[in-house]
Amino acid sequence: MIQKDLKGIFLLVFFALIAAFSYNYLSPFGIALFGQWEPSKGVVTSYSGTDSVEASIEIKSIEMIKQIVKKKERIILDVRPREIYNQGHLPDALSFPLKDFDDSVSQLIRSIDRQSALLVYCSSVGCTDSHTFAARLKNLRYTDVKVFSGGFRQWQKVGYEIQKNEK
Amino acid sequence: MKSRKMKNNYTPVLLFIIKLMLGITFIYASYHKIADPAGFAKILYGYEIFPGSSINILAITVPFVELVAGFSLILGLFPRSAVLIINALLSGFILIIGFNLLRGHQFDCGCFVFSSENQTASNIYLLIRDFLMLASGIYFLRNTTAS
Repeated sequence: MIQKDLKGIFLLVFFALIAAFSYNYLSPFGIALFGQWEPSKGVVTSYSGTDSVEASIEIKSIEMIKQIVKKKERIILDVRPREIYNQGHLPDALSFPLKDFDDSVSQLIRSIDRQSALLVYCSSVGCTDSHTFAARLKNLRYTDVKVFSGGFRQWQKVGYEIQKNEK
Repeated sequence: MKSRKMKNNYTPVLLFIIKLMLGITFIYASYHKIADPAGFAKILYGYEIFPGSSINILAITVPFVELVAGFSLILGLFPRSAVLIINALLSGFILIIGFNLLRGHQFDCGCFVFSSENQTASNIYLLIRDFLMLASGIYFLRNTTAS
């Protein structure tokens, strides 16, 4: 009995693994065999077929971000939902929620020059919204877009100034 | 003597119900994970238990092991092996959910749907549900023989 059970387990698991890797390889939603899950290395991601994470545009140093904010070196875009933004955001950050992108895109193009230096952030290294937004900006021919990988959570954690919108 | 006879009469019905329940549950549970492996990988990351190098491999393979075990059980192909796999998975889920509940770590189980809310109460419910399914699986194994 045990031998038959073990044979069954082997066959079922073998079939499942073949199906899993084949499906993952063929599916447009498939992911890489190894992802980036180390927060200190930037935004965590499984590198799926639909993923827009681009490590080269990430700024990981919180000191560098502080400098950018202080010297207003870049226009900062907060892509979290508006109600979250209102509770607290980086100084002078503009709210352009990713979920409202289609509604706000014309306003964005009107108000921000395509040659402007931009910095996009979302909530933490665990969210890829900033990268999705950055990719859409690039599609709109914005040429200088960076992502603050640590997001609002890292900014808040180190205790830097937070602006709040009353109401 | 009478109660023993009654138990024997009801056992095949109970085994059939367990077979259907476990099979359908695991097929259903695998569906959204297969549809969104990136989302499931993020759920696994959120557990803060797995090494980074294993997360994608688990996100790719675990849902298919669930699917194949579920179908195999319902179709009667190596049903005991399927239940052994299901019990192994359930034991793993219980250990992981229990460990995170004990250390007070908030997480989304991602068992059936990927929710944005993390609720300890619902995770305790999940733990109880997994224990009940594991008990059903053990009952199934004790009352079936390899054919």
